[in-house]
Amino acid sequence: MLDKILYNTVLCQTFSPCGKYLVAGNIYGQLAVFDLDCILNPNTELLTPGYNSPKHIHKIESSSQICSLASTDRFLIVGSVNEIYGWTWKAILNSKLSKPSWTIKIKSESFIEQCDINCLWLSEDSEKLYAGCGDNKVYVFNLEDGSLMQTLAGHENYVHCIHGHDRQLISAGEDGLVLLWDIRTGKAQNEIEPHKNSKVARPDIGKWVGAAALGDDWIVCGGGPRLALWHLRSLDAVTVFDIPDHGIHIASFLDDCILAGGTAKHLYQLTYSGDIRVELPVSSTTVYSAIVRTNPNKVLAIAGSSPDIDLCTTFNYRDQVLHFR
Amino acid sequence: MGKDDTTKKRRKLMTSSTNENVKQSPEDVYKKVVDFEEAEARQRPAEKDAALFKKICQDVRQLFADIAELKEIGTEEAREKINAKRIEASLQLVALKKVNRLEKVRTRAGRDALHKEKQRVDSTHLLLQNLLYEADHLNKEVTKCLQFKSKDEEIELVPVEDFYKNAPADVSRPDITKTDEHQLQLARLEWELRQRRELSGACSELVASKERVAAAIAAARSRLDALAPHLKDVLKATKPLQECLALRLDEKREETKLAALLPPPLFLLYANASAYSDALGTKNLVVGISGDEDEARRFDQTSNTEVELVVSNDSDSDQDGNDEDRREKKKRHHRSAKISKEEKAEAKKKEALKKHPLHVLVTVKIPDGTALNLVFSYLTHLKIIVVRYTMHHPKPITGVSAADVLDGDCVLNELYTGDTGSDSPHPATTYLLKAAGILDGFPQFIPDIGKPYIWAQRMCGLDFMTAVGDEQKDLKNIQLCPSLSVATVENFIFTLQKRLKARVELMKELQDLECGKITPTKEMSSIRLSGSLTQWQAVSWSEYSQSPSTAFLISESLVTPDDMLYRAIITRQSAKLVALVSLCSDYPKKSPLFSLTLHYNGTYDNATSDDIRDIERLVNTDWQKSNMCSLTNQITKLLTCLDVLLETMGTQEFPPDKVMLLLVRGRNRLKPYKFLKQGTGMFVQV
Repeated sequence: MLDKILYNTVLCQTFSPCGKYLVAGNIYGQLAVFDLDCILNPNTELLTPGYNSPKHIHKIESSSQICSLASTDRFLIVGSVNEIYGWTWKAILNSKLSKPSWTIKIKSESFIEQCDINCLWLSEDSEKLYAGCGDNKVYVFNLEDGSLMQTLAGHENYVHCIHGHDRQLISAGEDGLVLLWDIRTGKAQNEIEPHKNSKVARPDIGKWVGAAALGDDWIVCGGGPRLALWHLRSLDAVTVFDIPDHGIHIASFLDDCILAGGTAKHLYQLTYSGDIRVELPVSSTTVYSAIVRTNPNKVLAIAGSSPDIDLCTTFNYRDQVLHFR
Repeated sequence: MGKDDTTKKRRKLMTSSTNENVKQSPEDVYKKVVDFEEAEARQRPAEKDAALFKKICQDVRQLFADIAELKEIGTEEAREKINAKRIEASLQLVALKKVNRLEKVRTRAGRDALHKEKQRVDSTHLLLQNLLYEADHLNKEVTKCLQFKSKDEEIELVPVEDFYKNAPADVSRPDITKTDEHQLQLARLEWELRQRRELSGACSELVASKERVAAAIAAARSRLDALAPHLKDVLKATKPLQECLALRLDEKREETKLAALLPPPLFLLYANASAYSDALGTKNLVVGISGDEDEARRFDQTSNTEVELVVSNDSDSDQDGNDEDRREKKKRHHRSAKISKEEKAEAKKKEALKKHPLHVLVTVKIPDGTALNLVFSYLTHLKIIVVRYTMHHPKPITGVSAADVLDGDCVLNELYTGDTGSDSPHPATTYLLKAAGILDGFPQFIPDIGKPYIWAQRMCGLDFMTAVGDEQKDLKNIQLCPSLSVATVENFIFTLQKRLKARVELMKELQDLECGKITPTKEMSSIRLSGSLTQWQAVSWSEYSQSPSTAFLISESLVTPDDMLYRAIITRQSAKLVALVSLCSDYPKKSPLFSLTLHYNGTYDNATSDDIRDIERLVNTDWQKSNMCSLTNQITKLLTCLDVLLETMGTQEFPPDKVMLLLVRGRNRLKPYKFLKQGTGMFVQV
């Protein structure tokens, strides 16, 4: 029988607060911990052939897929199905994974229906945890005691992605809606429907929006519809990016660029005016996670539907390939 | 002033000496004077005399000068003065003489002393030389002693600990030997001598007993030989009875007799295989011997004589070569020159690849009547086993790819991992071929003589793994390993039966697939499959490897050119799914691997579409080793997955017809490929 790890798909990644470790979660419920120190500054004498393999691979108890990851100073927060777990970083770095330090359960409405925690986002002060979920809602939890503070309901299908900036939260869903929320009131202020805009719609791929990010004046989002830059106040599609993709799953602001990827052979860095600045070739068929760290050094980790994770230290070319297998 | 002193002294000296002269005889006096002067010379310091000498010379010169001066004056007074001066000068001269004499004496004394000292030094030096020579000699003696080697050092002795442990106290005498190294050595030697004496006694005893046994054996053998004619008579007598009862005893016996002529490896195979044939019944396994008996007998005799010659084999072979050449030359004289070279090479090849005249036939059968006939032959020169085979099918097979599956070649390919039978397993084969003057590699002869599978060698008890690295000499007589043969024969029979059964199953499946017929399994039977298998055919490796969809499997070396490769085309309206399927020869132990390419609104494979990748994951990795799972099952799964994928696209062409809880789920937008048996059945995400 073929080892299913060859068909591994990594949905999420995060860096540890110390910056030494990269944690990736896959659809088989496994968490891989990579020692970045070892990989980026290899000691040639101690270099073993498996240096680019994970230091540990943990399997979570339920074996359901790991949809999202977030990290605070103390905890690694793991969003799986129906449950959010918190492990202390110390526990994660042990070779054997203990029980999680805390668990938040999200009640699913029926027995069969299961709720994926598709996206986790931490408020800037790390006190609130926002979870975009498979039951069409965004939940806000207090990280002090794990209590549910707010429920943002407005999507008609599951939430793909959430992102917050300056008292506002943006959420993108399978229903094709991009909603803008006021964090304080918990009300939807504005909405965009990219698939209704003829400039960006791609009906053959679908109306879903896979990724959205919020900047000072701008929104970038894409999915089935093309990746586009929207003006925050006028909600007009200012720039429509012309990149050869079959669906966007990654869109974020990086310095004065936009980082975008999805079902394509490359990960793109684009200027606001629509020019391609960098084309990074990727190992994955579809990129589901691209995370950036600037401190202590610049690292961009790209993962998706492949057992390989690409690592770039300059953002310009692929430096190394890690194997999650 | 000084002058006065010396003169006085002189006088005194003179007087004393004259006194003595007076008293004693002239001889005595002379001697005394000499003694006295010598004593004086010793006492007086030489430096003072030197000064005195200089002073006297000065005075004399002065006096002469004065006299000369006075002479020039020439007066009377001067003459008187001259006289006085003359006297004074004479006295001075006397003193000078004395000093001179003293000096002479002193010189002689000094010379004597020097001479004496010199002699002393010489004698000491001589003494030293003597001593040195003696020391050298002694040193030489010492080294000679040190280099002395006693004979006992060459004798291998029992280690000291064992010596103390085993030797009796009167030999070991630990109180003395523990301290005295020499005594210890002596004691050990004594112990050694004692033990060796005992052992040699034991040895001679054993030799004697061996001789006795040999004599007994010879006696027994002669008795047995005498028995043989008796037994033959008895056998003859039983023949009518056998014919009456229709027993096959004789036939069996004939075969056994034939078996005795088999070369050892084939005999081992025959013995083990026939034992299993008896145990499993002729329904499963039939064993026989074929070949020319007379030739085998002749071969047996010649090889027996050869064995005796084997010792001087190398030189013999050289001579043989020469003989051959000579014969060749003679022939050339008689016949035309045209035949020689090619024929010679052909003959050489024949000789090198010569098979033993007898072969062992093994037929492995499975219940449905499919059988594989194997002919094992022994290459007498190369000392390996080769196998030829024929398949026997109870019913004719329809379908091209299905027939291939049951081809003998294909069935036996990689029966054990890595064993393709494409080259000789014997490491010395290349050498032996070269030595026989054949330049072609062994693989080129395989189509003619049969395949040298490793399992075939092992079934005959030949294990070349242990022979690797040994010298050529040892390769002449590789040890047969009977236990290896027993184990391998059993394993082979069951492995082959299993393989045959699996292949017959597969053949049936492939027959169905080639007709496009898919029989869904029980649990999936409620689902309507909308797609249809429109093509199933074998493809070549080049075609397989050219497709971009297979790059992933090839790069992970999960598919090799040795696998069986097929292309399946599944269509549903305008959508077309091309699946390249690789079946490993170990099927169904390892699952078939599918690589997919979907043609619908463009072309997608696992490198460009996650949906295709998800389907591949489901089809390739969800393989349980149970009877229910088979190639057909996988294709059924593939068909349902294709339906699910097309129906979740939400196009007009493919209206949803299955019960699906969620059309897509998760950030990876997974489609509900997994069938859940609940109610009428529904599809969920994995």
